Amino acid sequence: MRGNSTVLAALNKVLTRKLTAINQYFLHARMFKNWGFSELNSRIYKASIQEMKHADDVIERILLLDGLPNLQELGKLYIGEEPKEMLRLDDKLQSEDIRYIRDAISTCEAEKDFVSRHMLAEILEQQEDHQDWLDTQCSLIDTIGIENYLQRQL
Amino acid sequence: MSNIIKALNGLLAWELTSIDQYTQHSEYYEDWGFSKLYERISHEAEDERGHAKMLIERILLLGGKPDLETRHPLPDADTVPEMLAADLELERKNATELKEAITLCEQAHDFVSRDMLVQILKDTEEDHAYWLRQQLQLISRLGVERYLQAMM
Repeated sequence: MRGNSTVLAALNKVLTRKLTAINQYFLHARMFKNWGFSELNSRIYKASIQEMKHADDVIERILLLDGLPNLQELGKLYIGEEPKEMLRLDDKLQSEDIRYIRDAISTCEAEKDFVSRHMLAEILEQQEDHQDWLDTQCSLIDTIGIENYLQRQL
Repeated sequence: MSNIIKALNGLLAWELTSIDQYTQHSEYYEDWGFSKLYERISHEAEDERGHAKMLIERILLLGGKPDLETRHPLPDADTVPEMLAADLELERKNATELKEAITLCEQAHDFVSRDMLVQILKDTEEDHAYWLRQQLQLISRLGVERYLQAMM
């Protein structure tokens, strides 16, 4: 099934974002693990795996649409040096991703590719959940202080 | 083989010292109410006992006499951070001597002793020393009171 080239371009853009997030989350998770914050490690590790599943969905959809999934492109990784900065940078990445996914959804709607649109909306829902979690962590750090917050992440 | 046996006995002294030190420290932790530290450190003492057993068995197999009397002096540590730092220091000294003994085994073509020592070194590096280093980092990151509260 030949896909619309605008839709394919939008899907590839989302794919690049996903590939970037996989790497950023993975490195952050293991940095948390190295410092002894096993709760953060397991949460962020799962986020990385979730991004990988999203990437898989997007790749399969692009192939179905007879497009070429672009796995060469990788965006800039925002790697923090300490826990607070790392969570904020993940939040930043996640907000940008949400913007890209929303744009891609509008493109799909305009081009009447409702199945791609539906897939992206599902990804967006999980994306928003994770962003909500990140927002909560950042606000917890502000309310209870970074030391008390980190104590709960051992 | 006599220099290998000597090296293995030297390592045995470290393992025996660490059993004592970990047992002592873990009992303090229990007495002070830090049950998570107690669990971890008494488990380390068990690990060290396993290492000591491996060394003793190997020395006997090689026809040597295991020296179970020699020990290194125990540290003078009164607080949790001091105790953790002293434990890390012990692991580091033990690792240095392990590496020397591994080199010696390689030269003497005693590959079975070498393999056993590499296993002990792996436990030392990846489990004991790594965990201790993390704890000391956590103390400086969280402050000692918060760290200890999490260890109850």
